Amino acid sequence: MSAFADYSIRRHGLLTLGGVIVAAVIISAIFAPWVAPYSPYDLDVTLMLEGPSRAHWLGTDEVGRDVLSRTIFAAQISVKVALFAVAVGLIGGTIIGMLAAYCGGPVDTVLMRLMELLFSFPAILLAVVLMASLGTNVLNAMLAIGIIFIPGFARLARASTLSAMQQQYVEAARSIGMSHSRIILRELLPNVVTPLLVEAAVAFAYAVLLESALSFLGLGAQPPDPSWGNMLNTGRGFMAQAPWLSIVPGLALFLCVLGFNLLGDGLRDVLDPHLRD
Amino acid sequence: MARLLFTRLALFVPTLFAASIVLFIAINVVPGSAARSALGVDATPQAIMRFEALNGLNRPLVVQYTDWLGKALHGDLGTSFQNRVPVAPEIVRRLPTTLELALLAFLIANAIALPLGALAALRRGKRADFAISALATVLGAIPNFWLATLLVLVFSLHLKILPAGGYTPFFESPWKNFTQMVLPALSLGLVSSALLLRIMRTTMLDVLNSDYVRTAHAKGAPERIVVMRHALRNALIPYLTVGAVEFGFLFGGVVIIEDIFRLPGIGSLVLVGIINRDYPVLLGSALVVTFIVLTANMLVDTCAALLDPRQLRPREAGR
Repeated sequence: MSAFADYSIRRHGLLTLGGVIVAAVIISAIFAPWVAPYSPYDLDVTLMLEGPSRAHWLGTDEVGRDVLSRTIFAAQISVKVALFAVAVGLIGGTIIGMLAAYCGGPVDTVLMRLMELLFSFPAILLAVVLMASLGTNVLNAMLAIGIIFIPGFARLARASTLSAMQQQYVEAARSIGMSHSRIILRELLPNVVTPLLVEAAVAFAYAVLLESALSFLGLGAQPPDPSWGNMLNTGRGFMAQAPWLSIVPGLALFLCVLGFNLLGDGLRDVLDPHLRD
Repeated sequence: MARLLFTRLALFVPTLFAASIVLFIAINVVPGSAARSALGVDATPQAIMRFEALNGLNRPLVVQYTDWLGKALHGDLGTSFQNRVPVAPEIVRRLPTTLELALLAFLIANAIALPLGALAALRRGKRADFAISALATVLGAIPNFWLATLLVLVFSLHLKILPAGGYTPFFESPWKNFTQMVLPALSLGLVSSALLLRIMRTTMLDVLNSDYVRTAHAKGAPERIVVMRHALRNALIPYLTVGAVEFGFLFGGVVIIEDIFRLPGIGSLVLVGIINRDYPVLLGSALVVTFIVLTANMLVDTCAALLDPRQLRPREAGR
């Protein structure tokens, strides 16, 4: 078997693995009420910090709630936050990036300098600062994470738009007097959307991570709503007596991020072989 | 060289200035939120007005910013809403802890990424390459706060060989300081090594496929010389640039890691600022973190330029 074929199979294997993990997370999130054995809010103080058993496969937490059920329901919050945040970043970044590329000149300079500035902040720091002002809840976490993603998408959208603008069909559209908005929406947008969507898959993983980090710090999802981040934070207080409280949600978070990373990398390889290395 | 440093500095100052505006706007994006946040939801309108008058928050935002900036330029980052203590001395007191953690973590990340990334490129397509790439994929997906939790579980609670938290200054007890910093630095460094490792592999592959490396091979230069003198040195230039970006990510991570290991650094001060809704503390500490990240970027950019003589002599390079 040639090295390339071997490489290709491995890469596609990883893409498939990523796809399977992502599908599992999304299905768990959507069908959580049917998949989870218990309600994530059901307390049973007689079962506090019980280890894994037949009734509670992954044990119970400090107030007797089923850890498996809470981990499954936490996927709902993570997927919801990540979806919304990536959508904010994708839409905001695409508009800014395409405008910068299409208008050029001072508009390009001002918009992209602003994007570079936002890009220079550590993401979690900017999220924390934004949430200090917006308030600590899931909706604001979505918004803060979305704002953080805008510069990355804007850079990509600008580069893709500049490249697409060199094509003859754009010149042709201009020469027949097509309006700017029609050129942007009908000629340029379809040609920049593929790399943006691939980037969105990778950003999705990072959004899940950031949401969990914010919830871990007590700034995202608030108890009793389950989030992998706030479950890990709670688990810290019981590491010696109940290590599963620290292991299970972290493992779920790790697998989710791994799945989206593999999917994003795999998609990038398939859609743009030049970026393979 | 002097011109290069001057250019970098000329870009750095307005960037820091703009960053301070962004942070100020981000914190004050919702008008009146500082007083409401600090006093709680039950605060009466009179109490809010008193609080705003006391802290100068009833003035227009531009006036507040210019006032804050003027004082900041003189080293005064304001006074804490909570305990009326000046913010700047508190930041100075905490700075060594954060710098020590970030530098140790960055050292660990590079100590892993440089040799393994280069090895993966040299063994491209072989088992070592796939094993190292798999390691990078796994490390890149581990949240640093989960890794920190697992390290505490294993090394502090199970094996009982390292402390789960606390801080002793280096000059007070170097060994105790080391044992307390190992786990936090590993939590940040291991995760950060993932991206650096991938970048090192990619840039090294690019260099190994370049004409000058082929020429060096053709001239009969030993493999060790080709790798060390030609390939590694040139691969380091893009690696350093990405390394600076990764340092920014890593520095963001100190907010969480310092909280987990109870380290009295700037990251935990950011958290104190947000938990207490103490905006001068939050703004001051966030600005200092941003300043450090921007400085690191500038220094690394300069180092990359020094390694790449074409950047020092753009005119000659263009001929």
